[in-house]
Amino acid sequence: MHSRLDDLRITTDDLDTLTGLDISDTFMGRAVRPSVFRAPKRLMSFVLSEIITLGLIVIFCLPASLVIAKSIPGFNDSTPNTIQFLQISIGISLSIFALWNGFIWLRSNALKTLAHLLDDVDKHNEIIDALQVLDELTAVQNTSTLGVNSTSPLENRADVLQALSATRESLVCGLMTERVLRKHQRSLARRHDLFTNIETNLATLQSLQLNHAANDYGHLLNDALQIGMSVRHEIEQLK
Amino acid sequence: MNHFAVMLTLLRDRPTFLDEIRRNIKIERKSVSLLVSSCLFFAIYGAIIGSSSSWLQAISSAIKLPALYLITLVICLPTLFFFDILFSSKLGFSQYFVLLLTTMSTISVLLFSFAPITLFFLISIHDYGFFLLLNVAIFALTGFVGTRLFYNGMQQISNYSQPLIASELSPYEQIQDEEPRRLPDREQTSKRLVMATDASTVDQTTLAKKDDLYATRVRLLKFWLVLYALVGSQLGWTLRPFFGAPEETFQLFRAIEGNFYSTVWRTFLSLLGFN
Repeated sequence: MHSRLDDLRITTDDLDTLTGLDISDTFMGRAVRPSVFRAPKRLMSFVLSEIITLGLIVIFCLPASLVIAKSIPGFNDSTPNTIQFLQISIGISLSIFALWNGFIWLRSNALKTLAHLLDDVDKHNEIIDALQVLDELTAVQNTSTLGVNSTSPLENRADVLQALSATRESLVCGLMTERVLRKHQRSLARRHDLFTNIETNLATLQSLQLNHAANDYGHLLNDALQIGMSVRHEIEQLK
Repeated sequence: MNHFAVMLTLLRDRPTFLDEIRRNIKIERKSVSLLVSSCLFFAIYGAIIGSSSSWLQAISSAIKLPALYLITLVICLPTLFFFDILFSSKLGFSQYFVLLLTTMSTISVLLFSFAPITLFFLISIHDYGFFLLLNVAIFALTGFVGTRLFYNGMQQISNYSQPLIASELSPYEQIQDEEPRRLPDREQTSKRLVMATDASTVDQTTLAKKDDLYATRVRLLKFWLVLYALVGSQLGWTLRPFFGAPEETFQLFRAIEGNFYSTVWRTFLSLLGFN
């Protein structure tokens, strides 16, 4: 009974494979999941991650700056020098930390669709958890009323399982589509640019052809226009 | 947080972990987890050795010790990566980074396991020279074990890579590779023998070249390990003090004077009463 439910669950490993990113409760790849700010437990985990990140940056920057500073002539271990050194190196660490967070937020904005899908996956898994609890409760009730004719509180369990199976399928399909679109976003954008370029070139060719229709270059421009129109036709078929 | 779970997987099942690195599985998660857990272990050990002097020194050493290993890794990683890909390595930069992080993690765990012993000597013996040499010995031992495991790991990855290399061989080479694996019938064998005879000269040359390449990579790896040790020890000397000398106030850094090896030798002699 439970193995069927486990099969319906979308695990972290499944998510990693489907999205091609490292998915956790707080992060999706190098982006923050917006759901972090709706659940206190996840928020705590995110804050802890931020503290760890800052710690790692300080651990790297402070001694690295020290190695560099020591090679500067006139730099010694006097108190003003040390204070200035600490101010500069901690400033550098905080700047790197701010840049890193900026990068994370930019990534998060780019992955809004994925974030929504992941929230849906969470809801799907929560339903499975609830169903599992109900199953266990039913099992306990059946044991306590052994011999008494009892019916399951969830009589339409089969329908629920069927619905969950359909939800899972939709989610998997959604995640796969999102991945494909994300992966080919750049090439799609490039194709759009290409098409715009072709349109511009075609318009130029048309105007040139009109201006020079009567002279010797007219037929050459006409040929070029034909090629341009042919390319546009091919690209339109691709769209 | 399951950063420590990743570290435990590395310690418990190293071959599988290395194989996952080779196959580029969850590299980012591995690198973050190893980085976090190893830095924490180094920081704890750093705080212990620094506490022999003052609490300020403890904080300073807790930051400096993880940085020592991390900066050494950053300095030495490009050399290893570019030399290895020059000699036909198929691994990416991030894979090399995680491989080096496994070394760093192993050393950090070993140091952390020495922490109770260090703490015991810190409390029971108030001898700066002895404490210094004890820690030099601990760092040398853990460093040796860590790099030894890294060396074995790199060889394991190279051995794993053999089937990948085989898939890129010519049909003649593949036939020769497949021979020991199955028992072919007479007809197949004769066909293969004809092909193999035709290509035998080419095969021999290619295999010899591959052997040479592998041997060169092993030699380079040994050279790189020496380089890693030299950079690490010099950086340690540059970042000192980690312990904080007795009867001296807290210092964030000291002026560069002498070198690591001569100081260790002088301390050793003075401990034996020669100075």
